[in-house]
This record gives sequence, C-alpha cells and structure tokens, in this order.
Amino acid sequence: MKAFSFPVLLFVFFAAGCAHSPDPAASLAPPVAPPQVQQVPVVSDSVQIPSPPPEMTVKSETKNADEYGDIEVSDKVSEEAKAEIADPLEPFNRAMYHFNDKLYFWLLKPVAQGYGKVVPKAARVGVSNFFANLAFPIRFVNCLLQANFEGAAAELGRFTVNTLWGVGGFLDPASSQDINLSKQDEDFGQTLGAYGIGQGFYINWPIFGPSSPRDTVGLVGDTLLRPFTYLNPWYAGTGTWTYDRVNDTSLNIGDYESLKGAAIDPYVAIRDAYVQYRLKKVNRKGGNIPAEDSGLPKK
Amino acid sequence: MKIIKFIVIIVFVILMAPGRAVAGGPFGPPQPIAKEAGGIHTGIGYWFHEDKYINGTEQVTRQNQIYSELGYGSRNGWEITARVGMSDLKLIDAFSSSTASTATSKMDFEEHGKFFSTVGAKGFYPFNKTFGMGAFIQGTYYFSDFTDNVSGNRNGVPFSVELAVKNLWDVNFGMGFQATVPYGIKMYIGPYVHYSELKVSPSADVAGIALASGETTMKNKTVLGGFAGIEVPLAKGFRLNLEGQYTERLSAGAAVLYVY
Repeated sequence: MKAFSFPVLLFVFFAAGCAHSPDPAASLAPPVAPPQVQQVPVVSDSVQIPSPPPEMTVKSETKNADEYGDIEVSDKVSEEAKAEIADPLEPFNRAMYHFNDKLYFWLLKPVAQGYGKVVPKAARVGVSNFFANLAFPIRFVNCLLQANFEGAAAELGRFTVNTLWGVGGFLDPASSQDINLSKQDEDFGQTLGAYGIGQGFYINWPIFGPSSPRDTVGLVGDTLLRPFTYLNPWYAGTGTWTYDRVNDTSLNIGDYESLKGAAIDPYVAIRDAYVQYRLKKVNRKGGNIPAEDSGLPKK
Repeated sequence: MKIIKFIVIIVFVILMAPGRAVAGGPFGPPQPIAKEAGGIHTGIGYWFHEDKYINGTEQVTRQNQIYSELGYGSRNGWEITARVGMSDLKLIDAFSSSTASTATSKMDFEEHGKFFSTVGAKGFYPFNKTFGMGAFIQGTYYFSDFTDNVSGNRNGVPFSVELAVKNLWDVNFGMGFQATVPYGIKMYIGPYVHYSELKVSPSADVAGIALASGETTMKNKTVLGGFAGIEVPLAKGFRLNLEGQYTERLSAGAAVLYVY
C-alpha cells in the first residue's frame, strides 16, 4: 500500500503545485495563460476569496473611468475572480466527455426516467436523504480536518437527529426551520484545497466525470469513508453506488441538458463550471452552495 | 370539575381492580401529536414491559424495548402509527425446577435483540380547548422467535434443552381522557383491554421444568388495564412522552417525538 501511495502523492504534488499562498502582486497582475488555460469569471463577495489556490487568479475592479476620463468609484463594488485550470489532457478529456455524454443520454437518463416514473418523487427524495445521511462520515471528518468544529458539531447533530427522528435518514428533520442544521458539504478534495493544494490540471474521468488530481485523491478518501464501500461482495457496494447515482439523476434531470444547451462548447462550459464550483466550495467554509452560485444555468 | 372526578374514579377502579394485565408499548396521548392541518411525526422510545402469562402455570415476562416510530394524522382527528424496534425477553424462573431430582444451570430464560413491529390507530374528540377523549387500537408482533438453552441434570443424568418462545403478539384497545394544561402539556389517563399470546416450545421434555413439557400456548392472565401519561413540549418541535401502565407490575417508558 505504501509503495502505491508514494508515487500517487508524488504525482499529486507535482501535478497540483506547492501548497503556498500566491503572491498578492502576481494575483493582481493580468494572468498569463497558456493556450489551454481557460478563464472563468466568478462573482463573489470579497471576504469569501481569502487566499485562492495558485492556479486561480483574483482580480479586483473597484474604479471605472467615465467618458471625461475621470475616475469614478462605483457604488456597488464588484469583485471578479477568474478561475482557470490547465487542460493538457484536452484530447483525452474531450473523448471522455463524449463517452460520459453518451453514457448519460443513452443509459443513465432513460433508466433514471423510467425509475422516476415508477417511484414517486417523495420516495426518491427519501432515498436521496438516506444516502446523504449515510455519507455523514465524509462531511464530519472533513469538517474536523478543516478545523471547522462548528460544522462538525452541526453534522453530528444532523446525523443524530436524522437517524433517530428521520426514520434512519429517509427524512431530514435537521433541515427544518425549527432545528435548522444545514448540511456541511465538505469532502477530501476541499480539505486538500483548504490546505493550499491547487487543483492541478483538468481530468475528465469516464463515469466519474470532471475532476483534477487533487479531487481525484479526494475522491479516493471520500470512497474510503463511504459506508457502502465496505459492502461484501464488492458488487453490492457498486450496485448501491449505481442506485444512488440513478436516484440522484432522476431528481436532477434537465440540469445537464440546460448547461449543455446554453453553451457554445459544452465541454468548455462543463469544465469551467466545475472549476468555478470547486473554487467556491473550497473558499466557502461549511454549508451548501446556493444553486445560483453553483455555475449551473438557471432552469 | 365533574370530568376530573370521573377520571379519578375510573383510574381508581382500574388500579384497584384485582388481576390486571400489562401491554406492549405506550399508547400516547389520546390526541394525535400531528399538526392541526395534518402531517407526520417520528419518534424514538424506550419501553420497560412486564406481563404475566398463564396456561396451567404462571409465567412472568420482562422486556426492554427500544423502537423508532412514524405516524401520520391530524391533531383533532385521527392518527395511524407504525413502530419498529428491538426487544429482549426474560422469562423469570422459567428454568427453575419444581422437583429436587432436577437441577438446572440457570433459572431465567433470556434472549436479546429480536425485531418487533407495532401498528396502531387512534381517534380524538375534543370537548373544548382543555379536555377531550379518544379511542385507540394497537397491536404488536415479533418477527422471530426467542430461544435460550439450559443444561442440568436429572437423577444424575445430564441434559440440555432449548426453549423457544414463538409467535409473541398482543393487541390492545382502549380509551383515554386528556387534559391540556398550560405550556401545552397534555396529561392523560384511561382504561384499556389487552390480549396477548405466546407459544412455548421446548426441544425436549424435562420433568420438573414446567415450560419443558410439550408445546404450550400461553395467554396473558387478565385483560383489563389502565394507563396514564404526560406529554411535554420540548424545544425545536420535539415532544417528550412519559407513560406508565400499572397493573400487577409496572410497565413504563419514555419517547421523544418530532412533529413535522
């Protein structure tokens, strides 16, 4: 296991870059992007982008010149962050994008639609709640690793309340107005990001979809903390994971289509949305990202 | 005031009447816990339960139950409830010998962790904002058998026998009177009828051990019981329910419920 993990970590280190804070001067300078690098504007509050990872550039624009050449300070201070990621594997990634696209339209979507017709939405939401509750160890451990003790306590509370009063997690009383314990959407990829490890480059995995070396290592960590990984025989765990995916897809049919339909180059749009989404998650400590900030187009 | 007197008299009669039975699981307040417009509630609970069964010989049973509950209904109407839980079972002095020639290694039959399910329904009629009454029916069934082994010797010859308690079930129906006092606290009390059965099946007959003498169906000794309880609103939509069912022995428990 050690012999395997060392080259993986070495690979991640070189691929992702060192864990250091970017030079502020360099951050404000115009990004010098290689041909593969794409830029995505990210609008967010200034306080929510404390120290972007190395490959992310933050640009502030608080002053505008008017038609007379005077500098005017706008009332609404906007801050634009540009998230970019190298894509040296673009031919492979584009091939995997097409593979995943076909997998979605030819297999996953029809199965999810059929499942959605048979199973009422309330039951599917219950199943989704159940699997989310089952993934509690991932969120709890990563809250602790990010020293987000308040988030860890909220997760522990959520797990207790939802398991005991949510009929094993099928219901979500913890999110009710009375209890109001919001889900801390944390994973290992975010934890690595919080420690300053950059995304590295873009990888589009078959089946698993958009990722990066950092998030791929994170995915391995998340998988180890997911209880149904340990189901025996192995195909029971795989089947459970597949069912979870089908169930989730049945509740989100149309999201992918919207993103794809709105984009001139869907591959680039998905890559950019992914980078933007992950950046937001790394920068945001605890809680879910609102749908309008997720990078997905509104329905 | 007349209603309170009536309730007190009923309770007194129930508690003082000879030969009473106990039932499985709390009945809860007569008024459904759900919101006025209707909705679901969930809960977890613990119930300590004792009962006495009879068929030639008397047998006292003791159980510790933990359960999860899900219900649906409306506050001033009806409610249906389902529970799933686990319970142990102890038959006190089940293996004690009535003859000097038979000696056993232990006295009590004991097994842990068997699943049970309870379903119930209730209806409520409010007299006014404070008082009301309701009726309920509730039944419990154990999905699997309880088994325990005992070894010993009879006239110097060693033996080992397995005793199985099969098909344990009960059904209860009754009525309750409720008073809602300040802070939304509900106090309730009422009589109920209880019927329960279990089948005792030994792997071999052993002279001197009453339950090891062929398969026997035992029924609860008496059918009339009384119950009383209190439901207290806690913070953030949770409610605490404490209930006791007193007859020859005390059965009691607590549940924390959450109303959606």
